[in-house]
Amino acid sequence: MVGAVLVIGAGIGGIKCSLDLAESGFKVYLADQSPFIGGTLAQLDRWFPDNHCGMCKILPIFSRDESSQFCLRRGLYHPNIELLPLSTVSQIDGNTGNFQATLSIKPRGVRKELCVSCDLCAQVCPVEVPSEFNEGLENRKAIYLRNPLAISSGYAIDWGSCTKCGACVEKCPTDAIDLSQEEETRKLDVGAIVLSAGFEEFNPRPWSQYGYKRHPNVITSIQFERMLSASGPTAGEILRPSDNQPPKSIAFLQCVGSRTKERDYCSSACCMYALKEAVLAKEKNPELDTEIFYMDLRAFGKGYYRYYEQAKGEFGVKFTRCRIPTIKQDPATKNLFFTAIGEDGGLVRREFDLVVLSVGQTPSPRFLELGEVLGIELNKWGFCKTQELSPTETSQDGVFVCGSASAPKDIADTLVEASAAACQVSKLLSSQRGQLITTKDYPEELDLSEAEARAAIFLCTCGEEIASMLDMEEMLDFAKGLPGVVYVEQTPYLCQKDALEQVKGKIKEHEVNRVVFAACSDITYEKLFIDAMRDVGLTPSLLELVNFREQLCSINPDHKKQAMEKAKILVAIALERVRTQEPLHLVSQNVEHQALVIGGGLAGLTAALSLAEQGFEVQLAERTAELGGNLRHIFSILEGGDPQALRQNLIKRVEENPLIRLHTETEVIEVSGYAGNFEAVLKDTDSTHEPIKVGAIIIATGGEAYEPNEYCYDQSESVMTQAELEQQLASGKLDVTELGSVVMIQCVGSRDKERPYCSRVCCSQAIKNSLSLKERNPEIDIFVLHRDVMSYGFKEEYYSQAREKGVLFVNYDLDRKPEVTIEGERLIVQTIEPTTGGVLKIEPDLLILSTGIVPNDNNILAQMLNLELTEDGFFKEAEVKFRPVDFVINGIFLCGLAHSPRGITETIAQAQAAAQRAASILSRERLESGRVGSEVNERRCSGCELCVSACPYNARFKDTDKGVVVVIEALCQGCGACVAICPSGAAKLRGFTDKQVFSVMDAVI
Amino acid sequence: MTRSAILEVQNGNLIETLNNLWRQLLEKGLVDALLIPQELPSGINVVQTLVSDVQKLESPNPLSPVMPVNTARIVSQMTKVTPSPKKVGVVLRSCELRALIELVKLKQASLENIVLIGIDCFGTYSVKDYKNLAQDGSSPKDAFIKAVREGKEDPSLRQVCQMCEYPIPMNADITIGLIGIDFEKSILIQASSTEGEAILEALELTDSPEAEVTKRDEAIAKLIEQRTKKRDEILEQTQKDISGIDNLMRTLAPCINCHNCRDVCPLCFCKECFFDSPTFEMESEKYLGWSERKGTIRMPTHTLLFHLTRMSHMVTSCVGCGMCYEACPNEVPVANIFRLVGLNTQKIFDYVPGRSLEDELPVTTYQERELLGVPEKL
Repeated sequence: MVGAVLVIGAGIGGIKCSLDLAESGFKVYLADQSPFIGGTLAQLDRWFPDNHCGMCKILPIFSRDESSQFCLRRGLYHPNIELLPLSTVSQIDGNTGNFQATLSIKPRGVRKELCVSCDLCAQVCPVEVPSEFNEGLENRKAIYLRNPLAISSGYAIDWGSCTKCGACVEKCPTDAIDLSQEEETRKLDVGAIVLSAGFEEFNPRPWSQYGYKRHPNVITSIQFERMLSASGPTAGEILRPSDNQPPKSIAFLQCVGSRTKERDYCSSACCMYALKEAVLAKEKNPELDTEIFYMDLRAFGKGYYRYYEQAKGEFGVKFTRCRIPTIKQDPATKNLFFTAIGEDGGLVRREFDLVVLSVGQTPSPRFLELGEVLGIELNKWGFCKTQELSPTETSQDGVFVCGSASAPKDIADTLVEASAAACQVSKLLSSQRGQLITTKDYPEELDLSEAEARAAIFLCTCGEEIASMLDMEEMLDFAKGLPGVVYVEQTPYLCQKDALEQVKGKIKEHEVNRVVFAACSDITYEKLFIDAMRDVGLTPSLLELVNFREQLCSINPDHKKQAMEKAKILVAIALERVRTQEPLHLVSQNVEHQALVIGGGLAGLTAALSLAEQGFEVQLAERTAELGGNLRHIFSILEGGDPQALRQNLIKRVEENPLIRLHTETEVIEVSGYAGNFEAVLKDTDSTHEPIKVGAIIIATGGEAYEPNEYCYDQSESVMTQAELEQQLASGKLDVTELGSVVMIQCVGSRDKERPYCSRVCCSQAIKNSLSLKERNPEIDIFVLHRDVMSYGFKEEYYSQAREKGVLFVNYDLDRKPEVTIEGERLIVQTIEPTTGGVLKIEPDLLILSTGIVPNDNNILAQMLNLELTEDGFFKEAEVKFRPVDFVINGIFLCGLAHSPRGITETIAQAQAAAQRAASILSRERLESGRVGSEVNERRCSGCELCVSACPYNARFKDTDKGVVVVIEALCQGCGACVAICPSGAAKLRGFTDKQVFSVMDAVI
Repeated sequence: MTRSAILEVQNGNLIETLNNLWRQLLEKGLVDALLIPQELPSGINVVQTLVSDVQKLESPNPLSPVMPVNTARIVSQMTKVTPSPKKVGVVLRSCELRALIELVKLKQASLENIVLIGIDCFGTYSVKDYKNLAQDGSSPKDAFIKAVREGKEDPSLRQVCQMCEYPIPMNADITIGLIGIDFEKSILIQASSTEGEAILEALELTDSPEAEVTKRDEAIAKLIEQRTKKRDEILEQTQKDISGIDNLMRTLAPCINCHNCRDVCPLCFCKECFFDSPTFEMESEKYLGWSERKGTIRMPTHTLLFHLTRMSHMVTSCVGCGMCYEACPNEVPVANIFRLVGLNTQKIFDYVPGRSLEDELPVTTYQERELLGVPEKL
């Protein structure tokens, strides 16, 4: 067994999976064929449902000084992750637990350690090719930076277009470019492999009816994302490619490359991203006319239906249900027009300035080759095939998959699967946890408590770049004259290894204990500089960086005088900060290595097992006498698998696992403490237990089926819910041979005023039960009255099958619901047939109500744990996309129906994800904070608790005995909200004390 | 639901009738102690007293039109460290009660075992004016009550009172209703909590006719309208006086950094003010540095910063009691400034200080789409 993992694909799924593994003690190699990380996500602008960016939210919360804490578009570092750009896997030997992976690493052509991202090479490069990152909306050079923000990744050569003219080599001031680099091979020993290679967007060019590439104003959704982005080719302005004018109207065409004969699956994310793009466009220009042409509006995720309603209501995005056959272009105006048959059978004629094609997700063609190398099976569409009821397992032991590599999905579901895959790997390799983690040994930090501040200022000229902007002599003189400065020096490239060695020498020689580097972006080089500080025994808190290059050179090329003034002020500020800075050391807290799982349904059982099988002790509390929760009432699954066998197997494993302590008929009545150190009191039918200490808590308390009171449910035996039908089909109680016709009504108790959310599973249930009925008796007439059929992902194929077998799907509107009456023995269902507008009257033998899922009463638990609930009564996670199983309160995690409605396989993935998030705490010896953190001056604290309410990390609470507030060091992220709100000056931020801030302000003015 | 009862005024003597009421509260054990203003024998002022022995209830008079302290401060002092172990009745004007509610939200006071007795407020004189009136030999309280009955507005009342649009107490267990009532004959006692109803029960008061309540409500509405109009007039002038940095500096010019305004403010609850902290103990080279850079600096420093900081800390909770202005030795119109800024700030958050314990303090809540209506330049 090897405690290292190879993750293939550095998109958001691969990054998340790597971080989760790295955070729980495994060495990770994160490989990507591209020279840069970020995948598709780095191209996107902002995300639904909150219309914000938020990738950084997946970054580590503990030991945060060790890993990058900036935008992932810029780069990533973590002590346990080695990034392997430009790498493809060429061979895998060995087997699960002991793989040897052979990677071919393409030459970058640029030596990363020398490249200073000055862009001079790209400026002289004569080759221009369309930029992949900007989707061809502008050109790039043959030597290039893929993502304009990705500075720490450096430049790379595109060998396909490079003419090797050598202009860049000549121009490069640091001799970083090497055109003679050759492909390398690297062999890695790893215990497991995770495939997270994502998807490719569908290329709509073969769909000539839409005129993509022929009509300039027909663009893809990803091109549109680039236009929306401030870092994109239009700097965030929406412009028509034909005339660079802002459009007055935009059409979004759904299902381009999805839901066709050739690709009979739904790409799952396009409806929502089209909605978001329309809303973002409307935000930029409320006058804009936006219209989405769709077949079914699949807003099935948590909070998505509300977003849809908001797009319609608040933003006035229009929706029209029809598929557009062809797009024509007016040759004069380059406007686009089309005609289609609308839902009501009438003609839909429209003209738009811009048409956006919502392109779907297709598997990467590389999967064919990769599948062979990894020895994994692909499904018929070319995505990686997964095992029944195990969404991250491939056909090969030890090889796991997450994200869109196995099926099209959105960011939230990708991140859940990424954590779930990490969980499966952790289970497999748990015996090797921590074995391959290496930490650099630094000399002990000097005790400076008595020492007077002695500062050095190192000025980088960045070759000519900074030197051409500033009068370096004047700068040196200025720096020498500042208070407390004992040494000043200028260097051409401070980021280069030998320059840093010299710096270290000077620090020692002049007994310097405060350092200012006036150089470059802290994001690029902070890690290098911090390392240098630690090498000479100085805590990094005594270091300040000034970003000359970005804050002076890139911005003010024509204003040298002002640049000089600004440079002086920036240096003076940095010096004041560092001069008044106390040496800061890390604080840590101990961790209880046991978890509490609340709820013994599918989610709770899976989460408990996922932790116990990684070697952690688990206390599992179930309210009722029986394990299995709602799973007890499910007898089949649309995509296959036996839920009852699953349930029995889970219960058996839980009962037999010596690390799981099972408490049935037990409730949690009290919880106190914080991440790593909770104390919980359990109570069973007889007694209240002694408090137990746990490091993490998983909430898996489930949900309930909606109890209908509409559609004559209580008035006739022939009206039943899908679950009741399923039960009767499974038990054989229902005689299907007698049935003439069956009507199913969707969205009963879902997607209405009272419950404005989609229950996600009911459409699958209806399709599943329809197919099951048809299989037993093909003569039955089945009508499914629906609003939008939510057969996302590979469920679409079953929807097609059902239609092929004659199941009739009839759409209805929320404000014109079907009517059900009983006349004598007869059941009468009436609904409006949308194409004719006439009333469709059916007298079915059975009426099946597709009832949704409603939350349990979660209030008591939420109050006990200080957690929030959504407006619909489900638990509210920290962030719907990027922290889908975390809570704002650290150490508590969420899965199953307590989170939101979802299917069995999705619940399994989510439970594993929650377990893995918990494992990242339980697997640590101690929880370490960052250097910058908050403190309380008890003498001044009035105990008003304003800081407690302001702290976004729940890192503060009031000690009621002393009447003052206390900080939980490990949870504090050093944001300073407490300092801002505290009227008494009792909240203090190490590294940003009042004295420091006042000194800095003085330096500024 | 509010229950309204009638308390007959004996012999047309309102003060004595009320005194009887206070005595009954103690005698019947409805409260163990009473925090109530009593008149000094000299008649020139009143002081707050915490009375446990009914015999010591010598000259209670919460109707005296003078307010030497915002009583919320005293309740905070009594209940912050530990809640009151015994039942204490606290007699408060509206602005005092509102400040107390804010302090409870700020965890600086506890209402446990506290019975809130609110009184309708017609306004108060400054301590100095009250003293002068009393020294004239007249009885300012009697004259005041007479004037109120005749419906006269006394222009020498404190300005903050003339523009106070909250003349009746909010959130009291018991309210002593005077506005719109012929209080030579009877007054209205209203209970708005179970605690309050129990007291009405024990006092064996009879329910008031609906007409009395309606009459009072109408009178209140009229008074509020009148005061709101006055408020807008006064604050319009204040707005002019402080618009722009020059005007603001001119208005603050008489400030001598005594920080009295802070010391008497019921919402300035810090144990140790930031401005008394070592952060402001600067080395001499700092002062000289500033002086060298600008040629000259005003000493002592940080006058404007002090007022702005205090404002940013408490203005969303400012109840406009005007104690700050009373304490200012140089008549800097701090109360009007804080009232103006408070009103505008509170409006943004639809927040009324003291309205309800349920309303969360604006600084403690965050809504993504808040502050959208605030123009970038005010």
